Amino acid sequence: MNKTKEKQAFISLPGIGELALSGVRPLIGILLGLLAGAVFIALSGVNPLDAYLSMLTGAVGSPVSISNVLVRASPLLIGGVGVAIGIKASLWNIGSEGYIYTGALGAVAVGIAPLPVPPIIHIILAILAAMGVAALWGLVPAYLRAYRGVNEVVTTIMMNYVAMFFISWMVHEPQPLAEPGSFFPMSKIIAPTAKLPILIRGTSLHPGFIIGIAACIFFYLVLRFTPFGFRTRMLGANPEAARYAGVNVRRQILYVLLIGAVMGGMAGSFEIMGLKMRVFQEFVAGVGYECVAVALLAGGNPLGVIPSALFFSALKAGGATMSIQTGVGAPMSVVIIGLCVIFVIAVGYGERKRLEKLSESEQEGEENTEAKQYVR
Amino acid sequence: MWAKDVFMAQTDNEVKLRMEEITKRFPGVLANNRINLDCRKGEVLGLLGENGAGKTTLMNILYGLHHPDSGKIFIDGEQVKIESPAKAIQLGIGMVHQHFKLVEALTALENVILGIPSDRPPILDLAPARKRLLNLCEEYELYVDPSTEVWKLPVGKQQWLEILKALYRDARLLVLDEPSSVLTPAEGEQLFRAVRKLSQEGRSVIFISHKLGEVLEITDRITVIRDGHVVGTVPTKEATQRELARMMVGRPIMMERKSRPIVSEKEPVLVMENVNVNDDRDLPALKNFNLTIHAGEIVGVAGVDGNGQRELAECIVGLRKRTGGTIRIRDHIVDSVIHDPSFVGFIPEDRQKTGLVLDLTVSENLVLKDFPRPPYTKRGVLKYNTIREHARNLINDYDIRTPSGEVQVRHLSGGNQQKVVVARELNAGPVLDIASQATRGLDLGAVESVHDTLLSERNRGAAVLFISTELQEVMSLSDRIIVLFRGEVMGEVEGDGADVFTIGQMMLGQMAEAVT
Repeated sequence: MNKTKEKQAFISLPGIGELALSGVRPLIGILLGLLAGAVFIALSGVNPLDAYLSMLTGAVGSPVSISNVLVRASPLLIGGVGVAIGIKASLWNIGSEGYIYTGALGAVAVGIAPLPVPPIIHIILAILAAMGVAALWGLVPAYLRAYRGVNEVVTTIMMNYVAMFFISWMVHEPQPLAEPGSFFPMSKIIAPTAKLPILIRGTSLHPGFIIGIAACIFFYLVLRFTPFGFRTRMLGANPEAARYAGVNVRRQILYVLLIGAVMGGMAGSFEIMGLKMRVFQEFVAGVGYECVAVALLAGGNPLGVIPSALFFSALKAGGATMSIQTGVGAPMSVVIIGLCVIFVIAVGYGERKRLEKLSESEQEGEENTEAKQYVR
Repeated sequence: MWAKDVFMAQTDNEVKLRMEEITKRFPGVLANNRINLDCRKGEVLGLLGENGAGKTTLMNILYGLHHPDSGKIFIDGEQVKIESPAKAIQLGIGMVHQHFKLVEALTALENVILGIPSDRPPILDLAPARKRLLNLCEEYELYVDPSTEVWKLPVGKQQWLEILKALYRDARLLVLDEPSSVLTPAEGEQLFRAVRKLSQEGRSVIFISHKLGEVLEITDRITVIRDGHVVGTVPTKEATQRELARMMVGRPIMMERKSRPIVSEKEPVLVMENVNVNDDRDLPALKNFNLTIHAGEIVGVAGVDGNGQRELAECIVGLRKRTGGTIRIRDHIVDSVIHDPSFVGFIPEDRQKTGLVLDLTVSENLVLKDFPRPPYTKRGVLKYNTIREHARNLINDYDIRTPSGEVQVRHLSGGNQQKVVVARELNAGPVLDIASQATRGLDLGAVESVHDTLLSERNRGAAVLFISTELQEVMSLSDRIIVLFRGEVMGEVEGDGADVFTIGQMMLGQMAEAVT
């Protein structure tokens, strides 16, 4: 009995095959998503190949379209990596939308002030203000989850709505941030010193995507090579073992959720200072939720967030072109994104089931048939 | 028993349930080996056996949760095939699991009617159901408020609710799995009254327990199971405590006590005074517990599973909050989680849930507690070269069978997973070793290796707390043995010349003085 067991264990070692598979897995999911999307495109009477081709040219056909993709990717990179860290710790930080709103508010509050400082200082102050306000906002669900056991999914989603309407109220007259006499509720415009530099003349390309990619790499290194990252991975894989090994699990949960909030706030500040220059109601319209989808598509891997965010924004940018050139509705790109996310998760789920079966057959039979308790 | 003696004489001895030659094999375990069992109408049958003896498997087969590899089941003389719990319910079998199967968010009444079609579909008319439930409450004196959500009910009431649920479905054969473990003595009395009433009505009850006293009090006959087979069935009137304990624990196999040098150092390492600890349900798990372990000594904790062993180990290392008392290890008063293996080594009872992170590699698991300290972390960065080097040494020293340290620990066999835990916990030479069910599920070779490691720890001068439900190994390894029952020490015996039956009786709740 033991011999067969060892044999099985030996066969199931993760070799090159399995490693490769873990990288290929999202690609298979995306491919399946695109195939399923093709069915829907065909149903609306358009040749899917034509549609995808025009999507591709719309995304990468010219320097302007590439810069559009990068601009769109910027909040997804910065906000998405914060969500991804949470996923690694088995925490579902769905609050990015709220963090982006509150972060934007912080950035605007500092940004509109005519400070007698060089632009670089003004920009950094505004970014820090955004991160600070978002952190305060994120402290509520983070504290509730860490120390009171309240499900973070519920609180973060609810807080998103509060943030949205709070910002909407803040930019209505007579609130001090509101632009007087505007046709639409919006804040005052930020000072020129608070505006991010444009990298390529004639486009709106701001440095957000560079910061975003740097953040992804930074958090990858943190997860992999620091005690903090080790704790986070332990927390995600087995919170009970983490507690046993001396990890302050509650504090770790708090930190991880706060990272999501801070990064969300930072994403909001770049969106304001690089693109919108002011905050108005519903100014991001769902970008926060896209951050969650980006992190999901990346499987919580910070490095995976980079291609995932670029893929997302390419689909969105290309979707507009596709709609103009072929007549397929622009929302089709959102449908395709959704399908891709579903298939990537489905492939991952199938893979996990397979691994579980494998490790079950390795372990000795137990009499116990109790349902596994969902440990919170 | 008084009323029942009369009653038994009046009724026929018609057999309600007969299980014939039931065999069930799980990978690596023969859980039930050709088990024969019968239960008469109106009878309370006790099913006695240690943990892992196969009681629960047998009852799960009866309830359609498992399917036997071979064997037959007869209800009222007719052979039946029970492929699901739904079928079991239809056959009039009711089951109260040791761990309740209630929906916490629903009310008591909703739990009771769950799965029963409405009388007037599609409308769910609760009024008749409520009335019927209240009648049942009245009849059996098991009172539960129908409109209270289950999560608000104390555990005793949840137990009533499980029984009422079965009776609502008019169960003619009721299986109670460890029903008294969550009850106060007064509630236990109430339960016994209800059981007596059930048997007077001609219903049969199978009463699973490993508490001798209550089995002797409530049952008509007792079937004892050990290691998956029936040792024997005796009428309760003719049974004695000693005889039953002997049947349960078994004949002592020639047990070799490990030879050991005498360690001269005798200073106390672990001192526990009046310690009180609650379990996960906030019920007392250790009551005014006192224990001292000296350097160079193995203290074995014997007892049936679930009598406070887990809580004992967890409170010593600070994982579980005390509700009273003090714990001292050397000069250190325990007030937070101890996670320094050079001070206390703790082999937790569930290596996969607590002791290891299965998704991390062997080398990462080997520094699960030490990773934030040098030499494994320097200037805030994990030193993977050092961590791997450390893993290579331990893999070599503890003979961990793995292709390398960079394999997920998930892929190792149970024995080798345990070696990872043992290596991590004991390598740094702690002053106190705690081994909780350290050999559970391991094959003989791996068991031997754990025993040898612990013994050499003792000889080195460590204080060792050895908790196990396997009496055999407790007796072979310990210098001193204490017996836990419901969170209290029933007695303490020297390891040398300990009598297996004396300990067996203490495990079943007899105080040391009362043991004959």
